[in-house]
Amino acid sequence: MAEFELLEHTADTGFRVRGASLEDLFVHAAEALVSVALDPSRIEPRESRSVEAAGETLEERLVNWLNEVLWLLDGERWAPGRLKDMRMEGPAVRATAEGEPRDDTRHPPRIVVKAVTYHQLAIRAQNGGWEAEVFLDI
Amino acid sequence: MQIERVDEVRFRIPKDSRHGMRTDVLFYASDAILEQVRKDRSLEQAMNVACLPGIVGPSLAMPDIHQGYGFPIGGVAAMDWDHGVVSPGGVGYDINCGVRLIRTNLEKEEVRARLKELVDQVFRDVPCGVGGKGHLDISEKQLNQILEQGAEWMVEHGYGEPSDVEHCEERGQLRGADAGEVSSRAKERGRPQIGTLGSGNHFLEIQFVQRVHDEEAARCFGLEEGQVVVLIHSGSRGLGHQVCTDFLSQMGAAMKKYGITLPDRQLACVPIQSPEGQAYLKAMRAAANFAWANRQAMLHFVRGSFQKVFGKHVRLGLVYDVCHNIAKREKYEYDGRTVDVLVHRKGATRAFPPHHPEIPADYRTVGQPVLIPGSMGTASWVLAGNEGAMRESFGSVCHGAGRLLSRHAAKHGRDARAVQRELEAKGILVRSETRDGIIEEVPEAYKDVDEVIETVHRAGLARKVARLRPMGVIKG
Repeated sequence: MAEFELLEHTADTGFRVRGASLEDLFVHAAEALVSVALDPSRIEPRESRSVEAAGETLEERLVNWLNEVLWLLDGERWAPGRLKDMRMEGPAVRATAEGEPRDDTRHPPRIVVKAVTYHQLAIRAQNGGWEAEVFLDI
Repeated sequence: MQIERVDEVRFRIPKDSRHGMRTDVLFYASDAILEQVRKDRSLEQAMNVACLPGIVGPSLAMPDIHQGYGFPIGGVAAMDWDHGVVSPGGVGYDINCGVRLIRTNLEKEEVRARLKELVDQVFRDVPCGVGGKGHLDISEKQLNQILEQGAEWMVEHGYGEPSDVEHCEERGQLRGADAGEVSSRAKERGRPQIGTLGSGNHFLEIQFVQRVHDEEAARCFGLEEGQVVVLIHSGSRGLGHQVCTDFLSQMGAAMKKYGITLPDRQLACVPIQSPEGQAYLKAMRAAANFAWANRQAMLHFVRGSFQKVFGKHVRLGLVYDVCHNIAKREKYEYDGRTVDVLVHRKGATRAFPPHHPEIPADYRTVGQPVLIPGSMGTASWVLAGNEGAMRESFGSVCHGAGRLLSRHAAKHGRDARAVQRELEAKGILVRSETRDGIIEEVPEAYKDVDEVIETVHRAGLARKVARLRPMGVIKG
């Protein structure tokens, strides 16, 4: 799982992630989101799922992408362990997630994430790579 | 930021203090609360709300105001029904997050003697749902009925008593809901979670009435000192969160269509009378009904828990149920005319005064019960709505203590077991599904609820009826 920093917010929580490329950034942001919701250290890559999102702006693309990952976690009760084959074409983002159905004994839940928000959302190119700050409603 | 003092508990930020503001910000605070509020961006958020098209009266903020997403939490904004906008962010992700207060016929000492047994029983019977599933198995067809019928559906299907519905805001059912406007994802996300508490700041507390401040109102609400009550704070779970997410994702394109530009994307809004605005309101009402059904199911489970521990003679009656994240069409006399508005209450509670026709007949002489949950281990309050709220805050008042520390800061240097022991020393038993559920919600993370209550009491928006103290806490 990717390194990320938690950000302060009075009511909720956020994280800052970095990536060498935009594709990397999106993968790391998804991994950070999974880590907020549960302990991902024992997720086994038993199955794979395709994850797709789209958005006209980069911000919309990132929020919609993370909300897709949240759907897997909270809607399908499925734990994504690793994301691979990330592709970004125009407004679309696609990747394959490897993981397994959620099992609270092996992936202890940390907190229920309600949504990924646009609040103070920032995506910027930095030192030849990318950085994003994302806040979650919890 | 230009803040003008109006009186002891009122402050104003005039509309000419920033470009784009269409109206003033009016907020309620004591001097101590003002100092705390200045530390985050909540007043800036209230100024952003003042920029929304069609706002009637000031952008209002209650003393429990803290930074939210787009709207501040503790914010109230009334929008002209014909020419104003509706903002999903002005309702929030947890549509109809709310509170219900249940009275029992038990005394504090009777419950104290078997508190551990009771808390463990409630913890088993009312799932927090961090693991995602409750005890109710609801079909898709039944879910669609719940989305349109709310708490009443639960009572009709054996999860409650007919009088429960009488004591809910809107009788636990917002008219004009349409299950067809709720996405299949929202339904799938919420269906297994009905009858569950949720995590974050949601909780169920076994409390006792520590002090009555208004004898007449307390008697009317069936409350007396030493009596045990139960407070449930929960909302529409994943269903409501998904409804908000779904509509926010469509709002970018819709705002372009209607030529709306805003200082914060999270404030996204569309004209109330647009197809998008009407669709959102129908889905929001459906999610609100889900939340009422959810809290109704939990009341049913809690009745079972008390009877298992204390026997069949135990009676649990609903005092009232309020929502504090909602947008509702209401009419007010404002500035010498009748205004037809959509009142957004984002972390704010309706507080209708005595004799208002929307109040249950048995409470009409004293005003609507207003339920204010405090932080874990401190106190909660029962208030009654006052005329002042009708005159100046579109029938609204605060909703809680209001957060002071981030969850991260609350955790710093604290250990869940130590917090649990400290609370136990004060006579408060805590059960939580997660370790973080306890430390993130430590009392120090919140403003002083008594100071918040004192402020709205002095402002004349609502008056104190009773202070409640926790004995047992169940958390996600």
